[in-house]
Amino acid sequence: MPELSAKERVQRVFRREPVDTMPFFSGMGLVLRPAIKQLGYKFPQIHRDPEKLARAAILSSRMFGFDSVVVPFDMCWESQAIGNSISLYEDSEDTLYPTIPEKKWKSMDDVNIRSDIADRWPISLIYEAIKIIKKEAPEYPVGAWQLGPFTQAGQVLELDILLKSVYKQKAKVEATLDKLSDMCIAIGQKLQAAGADYITLREMGTGSDLLNPRTWKDIIQPRMRRILASWKSPKILHICGATNLIIEMMNDCGADAISVDIKNNLKESRQKLGQNVLLFGNFDVFALPCKEETTVEQAVQGIKTNIDGGVDAVWPGCDLWPDIKEANMRAIVETTRTYGKKPSPALGRL
Amino acid sequence: MATKEELHERLKNGVVEFQDDVVKQAAQEVVDNKYDALEAIMNGLAAGMEVVGELYDRQEYFVPEVLMCADALYGGLDILRPYVPDKRDGIKAQVVIGSIQGDVHDIGKNLVKMMFDVAGWEVHDLGRDVPLEKFVQEQMRTDSEVVAMSAMMTTTMLGMKKVIKMIKEKNPNVAIMLGGAPVTKEVANLFGADGYAESAGNAVSEGIKMIGRLRQMQGKI
Repeated sequence: MPELSAKERVQRVFRREPVDTMPFFSGMGLVLRPAIKQLGYKFPQIHRDPEKLARAAILSSRMFGFDSVVVPFDMCWESQAIGNSISLYEDSEDTLYPTIPEKKWKSMDDVNIRSDIADRWPISLIYEAIKIIKKEAPEYPVGAWQLGPFTQAGQVLELDILLKSVYKQKAKVEATLDKLSDMCIAIGQKLQAAGADYITLREMGTGSDLLNPRTWKDIIQPRMRRILASWKSPKILHICGATNLIIEMMNDCGADAISVDIKNNLKESRQKLGQNVLLFGNFDVFALPCKEETTVEQAVQGIKTNIDGGVDAVWPGCDLWPDIKEANMRAIVETTRTYGKKPSPALGRL
Repeated sequence: MATKEELHERLKNGVVEFQDDVVKQAAQEVVDNKYDALEAIMNGLAAGMEVVGELYDRQEYFVPEVLMCADALYGGLDILRPYVPDKRDGIKAQVVIGSIQGDVHDIGKNLVKMMFDVAGWEVHDLGRDVPLEKFVQEQMRTDSEVVAMSAMMTTTMLGMKKVIKMIKEKNPNVAIMLGGAPVTKEVANLFGADGYAESAGNAVSEGIKMIGRLRQMQGKI
């Protein structure tokens, strides 16, 4: 049986061609502490330096044998480019991702996005990082991602403003989401032009533990369709939280694959979607690779359960949490390779 | 003149149907008619929020609806609260609440805060992105019985473990309540917490169940 390179394996997955074994890859943050430490970096330093961003991402994948390299790691790029300041938590030894402490825009009326937003700093640094990865790690496919407009709205406005306006000021909400969708499209196209081999649309905050599925259909789905139609394949749609009620609508947005987190009932999703849809995610990024009490054997069993649940790739259901237990992480990837040699619902084997 | 029961019903329905004006007007009538304000809070506003919790559990309501109901509830609570007499000993139960450092999400935290507000607790709201030590300092400063923390992300969740350890070392009798998307019951137990709510919606659901228990207790007093 021929062994495929990481790049070939992932490319074949998206083309629905048989692979040698199941890939371990992600469309969301994939940076790990051991790699950051080996490079001599501090966690807060890696986010706004394209070389550190690229090297931390590459080494994380090389150290643990992942099938892709992913940038960026945090969710504040667009919000910062719009003019918000960010907290990097430079004095903290803990793993704290950048956040926006105070939002510049106080209401939906304030939302005004420059036409050159996709070219502005710091977003431009991600394109540089992608180019560095393409040059220094050509064996890997590069994944990039964008927050969907509703989730992004929570980064640039107070989320409760948006949530409470869903019914009372629907037209204003839709206009806001359209502006943010335009930004998402433009940046996604630039990420692809810079060399991203696949792109994930992360409309994280729209699961049905937050939004009514009718609202999802009414105001989220049209924007998902428009954004995904404007990007080249391969493209993945990811939503966090409860997704079983909207999984069929997610599959009707034009994505090449669907990604879900641990709150999704995989078997039910597979039943609804059928055998031909690429379905990723659902493994617990805290319990299996990170939790102090989780043994290697439990991590292995967790991945076997994930694969048996009907996924086509072992793909973290969220950003992989950087403070992993190395033995667990290695066992997770090894189990993906060995246990994933059998065909998955949408993919045969060589 | 509306009866006390009629006003309770209007308060309750106004919360469920997120009609701020209806709730405010009914609350004002309770005050004008010198009906018992605490009874109106518990049998009107809190009873309405219990229905909201049931609607959320049945997936008829979602977070936007719950937030609007909470706004309606606060509209009435602001009017009624000044007319609730202090307890005889003048001591109120106290809670320190906040979203943990690295987390700027506070919807869940605010919904849990509402539960404590309804119950008449003195709430020390530290806001969001709160440094870990601040929870400990504020608990010690106020001698609060409960510390409630929320984290929306896995990456910030572990900070809770440190806070619990710091607080329990200093005062083992403090009850700790955790909440947030990545926090499971197992994690809460593992960290040594005394209670948990897994998401903003679940916080409502759990908080409302607590309100229900408080209402039952109120009835026995």
